[in-house]
Amino acid sequence: MIKHLFKLIWNKKKQNFLLMTEMLVSFIVMFAIFTLLVYYYQNYNRPIGLDYDNVWNLGYGSPQGMSDADSIANFRESIKQTIISMPQVEGVSFSDANIPYGDANIGTMIAYNKVNWPSEMYTADDNYQKVLNITLNEGRWFSKIDDASREKPIVINETFKERVFGRESAVGKIMSDAAFGKGTMKVIGVMNDMKDKGDYAGPQNGYFRRMDTSNTGGGGIILIKVKPTADAAFESRLYKTLSNLMRNTSIDIKHMDKERTKRNTQLLGPIIVLLIIAGFLIINVALGLFGVLWYNINKRKNEIGLRRAVGASGAGISKQLMGEALVLSTISLLVGAFFAVQFPLLNVFNIASGTYIIAIILDILFIYFLVLVCSLYPGRQAAAIYPAEALHED
Amino acid sequence: MLKNYFKIAIAVLKRRKFFTFISLFGISFTLAIIILVATFLDYVLSAGYPDTNRNRELYVSHMQLNSSKNHSQYNGGPSFYFINRYVTTLKTPEKIAIFSNSSATNSYTNNKKKVNNLRYTNDKFWDVLQFSFTAGKPYGKQQLDNAEKVAVISEETSEAYFTDDAAAVGKYIETDNVQYRIIGVVKSLPFSSNVYADMWVPYTLTKEDLKNTGLMGGYSAILLMSSKDDLDKTREEYDQMVSKVPMQDKQFDQMFTFADSYFQSFIRSMHLAEGTNSGMGIFLSFAGIIVLLFLLLPTLNLVNLNISRIIDRSSEIGVRKAFGASSKTLVYQFVIENLILTFLGGILGVVLSFVIIQVANSSNIMPNMVLSINFNVLFVTLLACVVFGLLSGVYPAWRMSRMHVVTALKAQ
Repeated sequence: MIKHLFKLIWNKKKQNFLLMTEMLVSFIVMFAIFTLLVYYYQNYNRPIGLDYDNVWNLGYGSPQGMSDADSIANFRESIKQTIISMPQVEGVSFSDANIPYGDANIGTMIAYNKVNWPSEMYTADDNYQKVLNITLNEGRWFSKIDDASREKPIVINETFKERVFGRESAVGKIMSDAAFGKGTMKVIGVMNDMKDKGDYAGPQNGYFRRMDTSNTGGGGIILIKVKPTADAAFESRLYKTLSNLMRNTSIDIKHMDKERTKRNTQLLGPIIVLLIIAGFLIINVALGLFGVLWYNINKRKNEIGLRRAVGASGAGISKQLMGEALVLSTISLLVGAFFAVQFPLLNVFNIASGTYIIAIILDILFIYFLVLVCSLYPGRQAAAIYPAEALHED
Repeated sequence: MLKNYFKIAIAVLKRRKFFTFISLFGISFTLAIIILVATFLDYVLSAGYPDTNRNRELYVSHMQLNSSKNHSQYNGGPSFYFINRYVTTLKTPEKIAIFSNSSATNSYTNNKKKVNNLRYTNDKFWDVLQFSFTAGKPYGKQQLDNAEKVAVISEETSEAYFTDDAAAVGKYIETDNVQYRIIGVVKSLPFSSNVYADMWVPYTLTKEDLKNTGLMGGYSAILLMSSKDDLDKTREEYDQMVSKVPMQDKQFDQMFTFADSYFQSFIRSMHLAEGTNSGMGIFLSFAGIIVLLFLLLPTLNLVNLNISRIIDRSSEIGVRKAFGASSKTLVYQFVIENLILTFLGGILGVVLSFVIIQVANSSNIMPNMVLSINFNVLFVTLLACVVFGLLSGVYPAWRMSRMHVVTALKAQ
């Protein structure tokens, strides 16, 4: 049966060539769309890994007129004490600009056994884990013990740990700063990944270094965990108090839950536009396929009439026509899949191969479904052709 | 002759209504999307309120410092120091506007929070950019030098605090823990504007240290020339000036900064640029591939439909051939017919996109953004129609013209 269908198609390869090209291009376009969708869906399903509710981030510029480390450390300490003494504050943590859902990204290279790994770099103090409710898989978070340690303590995330150390335990391992080839860092803990770049962001290497509060360079961000009862009146008071304390720099307060929503919309906006355009392309292709298949049947009335006359059933004709359409699409899908498979094989764009494979499978099913739906009505119509009528025409 | 083709085309379109519908649907939606994208790009990139002199302006908004030793690269905006010390020494530009990146500040009135985006600017800013004031006036050189705490606010900000614009002038707004006296109110800007903010204040009020001699910072400059002809001269002068700037930080040994046209600076902000390469090539080829892929599907679809239609008309072709019509004439006729179809779709597309733009404008999806289809966009659409029509018409026409008279006549 299938062999016969192939023969029929081969005999009309010239006519069918463009139809197959169209299916192939649809497959490729939909492959891109499905990959995106699967990728975002998988990311969306990963646990968030941090608790953003009731966390405010307070940005401040570099404190002017202070150059020695001691006075800066004192300055930061007094800010911290002021904030924590307020009644509606549950916790305070210092960080740099690279905070969850923030505008800044800080990327760097870090080396283990002379192999360089690109990684996101975060800076956090001892309270960071509590403020954002981060969970650890292994080891511990920064604490006072680290004041005395010779190597700089770092905490790496689960993704990074798996890529670098595999199943081995990472705690106690020594890594180094790749850009400058010096400075040793000791892994003291492994944390669960946090989706700090938005709910749809993919897994990323990341490590935390311990905040040095006497660091003179630039400003940073203070994360403040507040009680659920904290309102705008409290925020205004906090703002006033801190503005008076930090006279030489501008400060601003943001709410982490709102920043998260903003991040997500920024990403979803273009995706929705893309989906609308893809939807229109698909309707377009579907109507086109339908038109062409329908037309082909009208043209083949004689052939169909003859087949009916020699005893083919209506259902048989309908099956044959749908089969032909499916064989056509199979050829295009094979060619398309050949190209699509290169993506996981060559590891393009650093997306997990599983994502590509699910996308390819969904894509194949989708194209088959589309072709089947488009050939359903034309097939039925063909089945309704009466042999006498069809043969009479010529 | 053309009139005849037109008549035939309309007759054919009427005969098979379903096919006509499919073709027109595909063409009109494809063109509508092209129109929408072109309108949006045109809006963002071409001169508009308040930056109306874009054709005789250059933008300094990007600074790249490289360290060849560490293979590291820093991208950002130029610092105030760099612009004030070096860029303002340029002779060719008539006026130079300096402004900072917008920084968010908070304001709490009656226990309600409002976020105000602030930009610190110089006095020339108000000459270079053509803001329309609904009340009051901008600040001048004296107010800048005296570091007076004055601000120009947008209409939106004014509405949030006061009853009407005229009443706002002379009043105070406290934001970032500073009391600013309002001296002017301007028509609000769309979010896409390069100088968008809620409040503009003299740069002398910034809490940053303006004496910091680092080359990277959060400032930009717009160089306004007296005529278009000076653009190249300014670019040359700028490059010469840059070559003489000493590197402050020993860590870096290369500096790249340019006086760009608006489009170039827009591309440069996408971080495709590296060194002297502006990233334009990468951007254009990338955009080209996307447009091509986007057009490929509807085109193939139309080609398929057209081929079906031609076979439908084989008897007509057969008769015309039998009476001596050359292949060339037939190709010509069919391509024209297809162009007519495309233009019909084009008209529908324009109507469709017009409706979408009206809806988008009135629903205020993008605040203060009033899109309109203008001459440039219509030209792009016309071009797209012709390309689309030719692409989808030529191959089927060629197939048709090669049909043998006998088979064509026998077909039905």
